[in-house]
Amino acid sequence: MAEKTILVIDDDIDLVEIIRVTLENQGFKVIDAQSGERGLAMAREQNPDLILLDVMMGKVDEGFQVAYELRSDEVTADVPILMLTAVTDQTGFDFDPAKDKDFLPVNEFLEKPISPRNLVDMVRKHLPTSV
Amino acid sequence: MRCDLRNPNEPIAPGSSQFVSAASLRERLDWFNKLRWGAAVGVLVVVLIAGVGLKAPIEVRGLLLTGVMLLLLNTVYVLRGRRFKAVDIAIELRLVKVQMVCDLVALTVLLNLSGGVENPLLFLYVIHVIIASLLFKGREIFQIAWLAIFLFTAEVFGEYFGLLPHHHLPTAGEVAHELSFILMTLGSFWLVILFCAYVGARIMTHNRAIKDELVVHQGVLLAEDRAKTDFFRFVTHEIKSPVNTAQSGVETALELGGETMAPSVRDVLDRAVSRLKQATKIVQDLADLTRGGILKEENLTEVDFNDLVATTVDNQRDLAARSRLELNVLLPDPPVLLTTIRTMAETIVANLVNNAIRYSREGGRVSVRLVDTGKRARLVVEDEGIGIEENEQDLIFDEFYRSTAAREASNLGTGLGLPIVRKFVEELGGTIEVESRAGHGSTFTVALPRKSRKRRS
Repeated sequence: MAEKTILVIDDDIDLVEIIRVTLENQGFKVIDAQSGERGLAMAREQNPDLILLDVMMGKVDEGFQVAYELRSDEVTADVPILMLTAVTDQTGFDFDPAKDKDFLPVNEFLEKPISPRNLVDMVRKHLPTSV
Repeated sequence: MRCDLRNPNEPIAPGSSQFVSAASLRERLDWFNKLRWGAAVGVLVVVLIAGVGLKAPIEVRGLLLTGVMLLLLNTVYVLRGRRFKAVDIAIELRLVKVQMVCDLVALTVLLNLSGGVENPLLFLYVIHVIIASLLFKGREIFQIAWLAIFLFTAEVFGEYFGLLPHHHLPTAGEVAHELSFILMTLGSFWLVILFCAYVGARIMTHNRAIKDELVVHQGVLLAEDRAKTDFFRFVTHEIKSPVNTAQSGVETALELGGETMAPSVRDVLDRAVSRLKQATKIVQDLADLTRGGILKEENLTEVDFNDLVATTVDNQRDLAARSRLELNVLLPDPPVLLTTIRTMAETIVANLVNNAIRYSREGGRVSVRLVDTGKRARLVVEDEGIGIEENEQDLIFDEFYRSTAAREASNLGTGLGLPIVRKFVEELGGTIEVESRAGHGSTFTVALPRKSRKRRS
């Protein structure tokens, strides 16, 4: 079975490394981008199997913008997206994952702080052909 | 102790310091209307008893007519007060002035019909000057005072010079035409009225100065409160990412290296995770505290409060079992239904029950009672725990305040649980009270309205 590639888009480099250790330990390949723009480019070029996307990077709605762009590009439209959120994020959208799930083009919201076990479970759950 | 749930964001009406606010003006006018009912009815009763019952030789028809006129006028005032909201305070005050002039004229007519200078009730003018000083500012008080002086002096001299009819008061001496008596009475009358106006104006100026000072102070306090909220929001925002990341990091280390670690190392990391979880909780609590305007119509839902309390308490049974606590729940039948914000109601119940459990002694008892009082649902959370010293009872609702006993009992509290409860109770339009005896336990009582609605800002 080919190694699955996970793209992590987050500007918190420490968190990216923590996620990398956790996922690589489970046999995934991890690539990362520290900005939405870079993340979009990598998603198009490297065809990841799943994307972990931080809800808020430089700008409050950067994560949302990236999610919409990923979904509207046919190359990346079907890649599962797990969005990392913190309940305290001031998104300026009055955004509530429980309520607004249906309007946002992501597969799951993961609330920070993310426990390693939960992260692995969620990644496995949403990988297209995971065993 | 009852904590003050006045909405700190409720501003005092601008300009109210110089004068009266619409609400307090309305209140005073209602009171004056009541006084006027009393005066009019009083006149009618006295005249009927004295003039008709006892057949005293007084001007019954004229007096009754004046009393009835006063009743009619007052009816008009009351109806107007009910129909129209006070829109413009300046206009309202002008209308009050007209009412006062009418009252003074009515009083003068009554006096004229009942002996004039012979009638000791002439000092009723003083009451009008006092009322004027409650409503008006310096010059206007003196306007009323001078009007009273003018009307009474004109009445007395009118009778003296035969320009007005004199109706002798049977119980009094015939003095209406004795110049020395008239001058003496008028002199003391002028003196009393002007002195009253002067003292009234001074007292009211003083009161208004105090009120001005209070308004300024309240403004300062509100600004400080806002600054504090902004600061908390900033801290929350800045601190959450590093704390979250640190917690994920330590948890990952434990997960990956757990088996190979020395137990002592593992223990240290476990402790680190538990403290990081506390930090996360503080951050989340602060976010709750600084989030404003949650109470919107669309967030209100009908909630089975019995069910909510039962579920929330059940979630904490494990925690209670760890301290071998007896956890009792008493719910009313039929269940209480509330139109409220579910998450806020849950947090209120959860925080209170969690505190009761955490600050209980092993083997103690925590009881949660829900009572339906008709308009409100009353939740009583009682424990037999460490209690709160009396001098700390009004501080426990302050952010980050932890009572001495609480700090001794546990170092994991955030000091934000009760401030959040208070804020949410306040947002939902309820009240909270605490009764406690140090070393014996505490009882928190929350009353939530059947239907929460957005408070007027």
